[in-house]
Amino acid sequence: MRRLVWILAVALPATVLAHLLAPGIGDLGTLLGPAGTLEHRIMWELGVPRLLAALLTGAALGVSGLVLQLTLRNPLAAPELTGVNPGAVLGILAGLTFGLFPADSAGGALAAALAGSALGGSATWLLTSRDPGRAIVYGLLGSALLAGLVTLLLAYQPSRFGNALRWLVGSVQGRVWEHLGFTWWWITGWILLIWAGSAVLGVLAPGDDHAAGLGLRPGAARAAALTAATALAAGAASLAGAVAFVGLVVPHAARWLAGADPRRTVPVAALTGAAAIAGADAVAQFADRLMAGAEVTQRLGVPTGVVTALAGAAVLVTVARRAAHVPG
Amino acid sequence: MIVAAAVAVLALAAVCLGQPVIPPHRLPAVLGDRASVEFVVLWELRVPRLAVAVFGGAAIGAAGLLLQEALRNPLAVPELLGVSSGAALAVAVCVVWALPVPYGLHPLLGLAGAACGGALCLAAARTARGASATLLVGAAVSTAIQALLLAVMATAERIQYDMLFRYLVGSLTGVMWEQAAHVLPWSLLAVPLVVLCVPVLGLLRLGDDTAAALGSRVGRARLGVLAVASLLIGCVTGPCGPLAWVGFVAPLLARRLRPHDEARTWLPWSAALGALVVLAADLVARLALAPVETPLGAWTALLGVLAGAVLLRGEAVRPRAAARDGRAGGSR
Repeated sequence: MRRLVWILAVALPATVLAHLLAPGIGDLGTLLGPAGTLEHRIMWELGVPRLLAALLTGAALGVSGLVLQLTLRNPLAAPELTGVNPGAVLGILAGLTFGLFPADSAGGALAAALAGSALGGSATWLLTSRDPGRAIVYGLLGSALLAGLVTLLLAYQPSRFGNALRWLVGSVQGRVWEHLGFTWWWITGWILLIWAGSAVLGVLAPGDDHAAGLGLRPGAARAAALTAATALAAGAASLAGAVAFVGLVVPHAARWLAGADPRRTVPVAALTGAAAIAGADAVAQFADRLMAGAEVTQRLGVPTGVVTALAGAAVLVTVARRAAHVPG
Repeated sequence: MIVAAAVAVLALAAVCLGQPVIPPHRLPAVLGDRASVEFVVLWELRVPRLAVAVFGGAAIGAAGLLLQEALRNPLAVPELLGVSSGAALAVAVCVVWALPVPYGLHPLLGLAGAACGGALCLAAARTARGASATLLVGAAVSTAIQALLLAVMATAERIQYDMLFRYLVGSLTGVMWEQAAHVLPWSLLAVPLVVLCVPVLGLLRLGDDTAAALGSRVGRARLGVLAVASLLIGCVTGPCGPLAWVGFVAPLLARRLRPHDEARTWLPWSAALGALVVLAADLVARLALAPVETPLGAWTALLGVLAGAVLLRGEAVRPRAAARDGRAGGSR
């Protein structure tokens, strides 16, 4: 418990601070100082919303991954491996390509992401014949299928490829207050709801028989949990696109920090995820700053998703190698 | 027989269909008339594309089987082992940042990328046991490489998008003799190497311990097979991008068609089926939304994944038959 408090008390403020300072626009004095200066405005109108978007995305992905791992009883169940996240990206890109909503509409992106992720998630779930153990193989196949559909969409309008990239690789760059408006309530609301129902998750996790023995209807509980996980993943995707590995790695980190009880793991996963993406985005911004010195660029910049993918892959490989030495 | 006939029919369709349509009976006449537009379309566009589709598909199909047999894992596909994405990343970096590499060396570049990606995955997964651990590590490394690929693309000029597109999933758009000339020699070079791999595969299938007891150096043998697979994938990825999931579905189909044979027979089957799949998908890619060409890899992904899901489900429904097939198929 002490480890948990220490790590969170240090990691979260540290990443928040790093995120604010990474672009090199100004320091905390500028942020809290008198309004009116250009630096102050840049930090309030660009830096802070970007930070909040990163924190929200991370919290949503962390909790979504945790819920998926618990209900599907598979340590690999993550939004990006069960078709939920690729589906959300497909939904957003389809909406943008066919002009169903304007490019800067946060609500439209959220609705499209929700439709897409529900489609992707339920397709995986139906393919697996409701057998949680096989969810990953079909999830991977389904994700490949959705990626194929995404490329078909891109081929339909190649000129939009540049705009589509940010959703494909995941980035919180350019998120401003308008994007946060409703999504803010959506994500925090679902996280609080899941936290409130986390006791149910704890009953469901050991097995259907166990849950039924305690008087829970496992089918209904799982459906509710999967719905919540999908809604959260869609919220995250509507803010940042497909940020890789956070939904997979963060729940494991949360369990390592806070143990197996979902009542504690859910908030910890939210905080860890928030810190993870804020930290990754700080690194991305810093890399951007280094690269901007060499070449002034009007392009996307270093996307957050690249940092999380590299870091996440390194973590996963280390864990997989270490786990291999443990018998069984 | 049926596969050969299907390849022939599709090849004919690939040559004849499109804009303008050239009926089969007029082919000799068109080929004789070097001045006509139809000759140019046929000889400069369709025939090289056909050749690359057939050879590339065969190479990827064979490479998929080599990987699956060498790692004894039905999910050891190029896409999940970092091989495809490594090759795509190497070539994309070179194209986007305009590195001074002559075009003729792109296959070598793809090969180097494929080898690096594959080696990275294998090094990472070396101690991982079982299908799921290898799969996990491979997927992790592939995703990271894919993210790097997208990041490289994010720095590209708008004008390059069309060209880069193919490195996402693979496409045969704009393949002419110039590009074909870079694939064909390499895939011909690979043929004797693949044949050399066949006896090794038989040994590797017995399991590491048995193979070692029979006197083969398992590590070196596996490395050799993987190097050949990387060569095959690398030379195709240069001009076409990763032909997504062909290396997954072709061996799966080959095993399903000849459930009681072994790697020696599956290899030609897998190559033929790979060519068949790529040809069919390319035809769809060209004609489905004509005048717009869609990326071939998107269709192979759809096709491959659907076929894979159906086949895997079939195994799940008949677990006993699957266990038998699994033993015969060397899949675990």
